[in-house]
Amino acid sequence: MKQGSGDVTFDHSSATAINDQPTLGDREWQGVIVAFEDPSCPTCRRFNQNTFPRVRSDLVATGDVAYVLRGYPVVYPWGDPASHALEAAFDRDPAAMWDLKAHYFDQQGQFSTDNVLDRTATFLNGETGVDGDAVVADVESDAVDDAVQTDLDAGQAAGASGTPTFYLFRDGEYQTTVSGAQDYSVFENVLTG
Amino acid sequence: MVRLPTRSADWRLMGRTARLVVTAPTYAVVALVGAVLALTAFVASLNVTLVADTLSLPIGTAAKVETLLSLYPFVGSAYTAVQGGLLVVVALALGVNLAMLAYHFREHGFSLQQSGGSVAGAVLGALGAGCAACGSAILLGILSLLGISTSLLWLPLDGLEFAVLALAVVLLSTYWLADGMRGGEINGCPIDV
Repeated sequence: MKQGSGDVTFDHSSATAINDQPTLGDREWQGVIVAFEDPSCPTCRRFNQNTFPRVRSDLVATGDVAYVLRGYPVVYPWGDPASHALEAAFDRDPAAMWDLKAHYFDQQGQFSTDNVLDRTATFLNGETGVDGDAVVADVESDAVDDAVQTDLDAGQAAGASGTPTFYLFRDGEYQTTVSGAQDYSVFENVLTG
Repeated sequence: MVRLPTRSADWRLMGRTARLVVTAPTYAVVALVGAVLALTAFVASLNVTLVADTLSLPIGTAAKVETLLSLYPFVGSAYTAVQGGLLVVVALALGVNLAMLAYHFREHGFSLQQSGGSVAGAVLGALGAGCAACGSAILLGILSLLGISTSLLWLPLDGLEFAVLALAVVLLSTYWLADGMRGGEINGCPIDV
């Protein structure tokens, strides 16, 4: 699947620095979803288990819609270091970042503030080609603080009051905002209907 | 003094009064319409922007209808079965409560305590829907504003605690209404148990 190409400028707060964000697909495609998610958010987990697979297979893989991920750690405390780890993993290998995101949601009930970095390093070292210990070192050294803060600032400026929140764009124009683990049909209808 | 439904006779009184009110066709319609409006308010309150934008988006009517219907529990994927079931129960309880309030208003005029309970139940129901659908962020935010540490907080219902609270408030309001109608009769049937 195409990873993060296309430089665009959308006149919306949620799209600040959009070209630097983890993206599935091409941001120049007809539709763009800018998603604010928290790895610790149970509703984000349900979205990622129920809706996201179909968005990925039926909208992104077909070249219709690009999916832009932004961290928005506002629910449980371990979501903050997890969001930092996602940024640090993205800097090394975007594909590993998407795997780590899926891992957080698949194993969400197992994570806590005390174990999130250890489990993150174990997963990355064992399941991806990324050096998990280096990612943890980046999190602990605040190396990716700016990237996380950029996402938080963009979400707050756009008015995201919870997670997941999605800002939908079509042909470069903002269409609407979607909150919660909504159905696939919402995204399909707004972006391709 | 605030009376609480602490005895089984109190619950039988509530059940009998509610049953007598909604067996009148007019009040059955009030209860049903009230329940649908309450559920609509609960789910729409989370996605006000999406609901408003959908009406003006350049998509077909069928796509608009499908998008709006998918926001409801059991139609779309925004709520789990437990969350959706609880929201429907709160909406139905509020509908019956409104029918009883309408009956009481026609017969005896308004009581601040009784109508206040209905309003509080509706507000809490909307908060419950919002919390259930957006990962508890609203509830955690409110608790943080109140100075309550959320760092170790675990919400067993993923934020649906507000909906449970709403159900309690609506039931309390229903009891006060039934208690206020004690000694009267509906359609010739005595209310006392």
